[in-house]
Amino acid sequence: MRYTARKILTLLVTMLVVSLLTFAAFDMISGDPAATLLGTQATPEKVEALRTEMGLNRPMLVRYGEWLAGFFTGNLGVSFQYRQPVQALLGPKMLVTLCLSLVSFVLIVVVSLPLGLLSANGKLDGLHTFLNQFCMAVPPFFTGILISWCFGICLRAFVPGDFPGLDRNLGKSLVYLFFAAVSIAIPRVAMTVRMLRSTVISEMNKPYVRTAIARGNDRRQVLWGHVLKNSLVPTVTFLGQTMAEIVAGSIVVEQVFSVPGLGRMLVASISSQDYPVVEAIVVILAFWVVLSGTLADLVNRCIDPRMGGIGK
Amino acid sequence: MKKRILTLLAAVCLLSAVLSGCGGGSQNGTTGTTDQSTANTQTEGPAARAAAGELNVGIAQDLDSSLDPHKTVKAGTREVMFNVFEGLLKPDASGNLNPAVAESYTVSEDHLLYTFKLRAGVKFHNGQEVTPEDVIWSYQRCGDANAPADIIQVAAFANVEMYQEGDDTVCFQLQEPNNEFASYLTTAVLPKDYTEQDTAPVGTGPFKFVSRTAQESVVLERFDDYWGEKPDLTKVTYKIIENADSILLSLQSGAVDVFAHLTTNQIQQLGDGFHVEEGTMNLVQALYLNNAEKPFDDVRVRQALCYAIDRQQILDLAFDGYGTLLGSSMYPAFSKYFDDELTNYYTYNTEKAKELLTEAGYPNGFDMTITVPSNYQSHMDTAQVIVEQLKAVGINAAIQPVTWESWVQDTYSNRQFQSTVVGVDASNMTARAMLERFVSTASRDFINYNNADYDALFAQAQACYDDGEQTALYRAMEKNLAENAANVYIQDMADFVAVRDGLEGPSFYPIYVLDLSTIHYTK
Repeated sequence: MRYTARKILTLLVTMLVVSLLTFAAFDMISGDPAATLLGTQATPEKVEALRTEMGLNRPMLVRYGEWLAGFFTGNLGVSFQYRQPVQALLGPKMLVTLCLSLVSFVLIVVVSLPLGLLSANGKLDGLHTFLNQFCMAVPPFFTGILISWCFGICLRAFVPGDFPGLDRNLGKSLVYLFFAAVSIAIPRVAMTVRMLRSTVISEMNKPYVRTAIARGNDRRQVLWGHVLKNSLVPTVTFLGQTMAEIVAGSIVVEQVFSVPGLGRMLVASISSQDYPVVEAIVVILAFWVVLSGTLADLVNRCIDPRMGGIGK
Repeated sequence: MKKRILTLLAAVCLLSAVLSGCGGGSQNGTTGTTDQSTANTQTEGPAARAAAGELNVGIAQDLDSSLDPHKTVKAGTREVMFNVFEGLLKPDASGNLNPAVAESYTVSEDHLLYTFKLRAGVKFHNGQEVTPEDVIWSYQRCGDANAPADIIQVAAFANVEMYQEGDDTVCFQLQEPNNEFASYLTTAVLPKDYTEQDTAPVGTGPFKFVSRTAQESVVLERFDDYWGEKPDLTKVTYKIIENADSILLSLQSGAVDVFAHLTTNQIQQLGDGFHVEEGTMNLVQALYLNNAEKPFDDVRVRQALCYAIDRQQILDLAFDGYGTLLGSSMYPAFSKYFDDELTNYYTYNTEKAKELLTEAGYPNGFDMTITVPSNYQSHMDTAQVIVEQLKAVGINAAIQPVTWESWVQDTYSNRQFQSTVVGVDASNMTARAMLERFVSTASRDFINYNNADYDALFAQAQACYDDGEQTALYRAMEKNLAENAANVYIQDMADFVAVRDGLEGPSFYPIYVLDLSTIHYTK
């Protein structure tokens, strides 16, 4: 139980610190939500009046306290920019980003694990170095444009710019998200393959492998029976990090594919200084990052009981 | 083992609790009035849309926070909501004001009393009939200094007495004649005491608002009880596509049918299946100079800049030669007020520029910054060319890119800048909308222009009721701006609208709107 308590505490503290930092950042950077709303119609008197109406003239800590109290009672406030409760605004967008991230993650796992093992076995050596460097070097927004053009315009597999919406057409939406996920996955797959390859190779050079082979096992048996299990722990840790980083990648890719997810919302809300929305997204992202780490940790403990198991 | 499973379960529960908590909000993140089923069915592909009379329009930025037309700030919001709202009068593409909610009006001999007879049977989108109370309430709301802070004040309504006469007549009693009063009556008429205007707007226009999804789309539908000629299109979905590369992809893939305000570069890459309508942006792009800031407080320095900048080269290098050169704060769509003779008031002449700079005490030039809102590639490109051109006269200019929000706040509202490249447009079809801002006491005089002659001309123009005389005064004001080199006027930018073949009819207005009622499919 101590483990669980510790993890939940980490989560809460992370979310608290991140949300406070975000609040403070908004307080420090120039600009003001009221002035942004009024745009070119702003006059000092009007901005002041609107600030009062919006409650922005109170000290930062008071506003943060109020936001925090709201957060724990399930009320994330109302967006300045859309005049809607933040929950209602972000709910559908969060589902979209979650789907996009999960599809990317599954893609990364399904593609990179076999590739990594093959290349560790020396099957793909020449190809692997070239492709790997290439895939890591190309930024996701560029592959995004290429994929849209190739599969969207030429092959008509999906319609770039026309995301059907998860609630309207789940199948088509997933196809759409699949292509966006590919552009997130490509550099990540390259990294995972490389990581897996070097782990397996360094494991294969260890004395126990030599001993096992000396005792008459063939390479295959050693690889599947011993090496793989030992290579799994660093791989799972790496995939945990990947899961957290996918969300960062989705911010760019959502723009290129016009996917209505959290990333686009975050960028737009930062520039319009819509801090109730930004706060909520930042907290969701912090939750996601801590959760990814925790999940990787849990899986590792199942794989290797020496790490202490889960319940202790 | 049991504990492991328990902890895993707990983690999954926590995740799903957060998920459902966020997803459980009302309305699924879409605001709207009418039933969601129509908003959610989407006809697929351009051919299917053509058969159903539907249209997808791409827009590059989301709308204002509020959709209440009396709170509209962004030109992009006005462009969309022009189709939803109408005033007593409504502008057309040639700049005339036609009766809309009003059927006819008369003006008294002394130009002080405007009497409007309302059109019978005009309905709001919520089914209510327009009453004189609605009209009076709407216009008083814009003239009331004590209205909520985000309502944009219309100064022309401030001292006007509005009252009802009979069942269908509204009178406006002015304190002093105002030649342009009628053009302010294009301000939207809204149902009195309707409180959802911010998120579910209701007007009298040919299209009614259906729904809005943040950073995603705005949906309008034909209003079948519209008083006038009903549009051909049944439903219009505005899709918000911010990424410049995605704009082209969305047209080519068939996601959108019409996209306005494209660049020449985008037009060239468009490919088959589209035709391009060319118009003008209807704004004055200039290097706006802070007239209160050294060295631009010296008229000779400002004139030197006008001579040192080759405007045609800007068009050639940054706009593929498209655009209309300007010489003052007026663009050609205002045909009545536009004075083409000012266009070449200054011609490119570096010798003359150097002379003027020497006279002003800057024989070796000086350093300056050009603040540019970096979200506008066209203004960034223009500034880039200007920087190079100014080197020839020894002026060392540096570009300071800023976000639109900080431009609005620091440069525009607080006037903390030396020079800036931006486009200024008119919020309604009056010369006043373009020229009033440079009166020294105007709150929007962001360049701090301070010229006694100009102020006097403006006062005369306001007091004058003879149309010809007033036009002459406005033209004199434009000349004043050119002579004193208030800014380095550059151009009215070309505006390209990509339209899918098989569609016809977008027309260009002297103001920044896209009228959907004229767009139709050719059978």
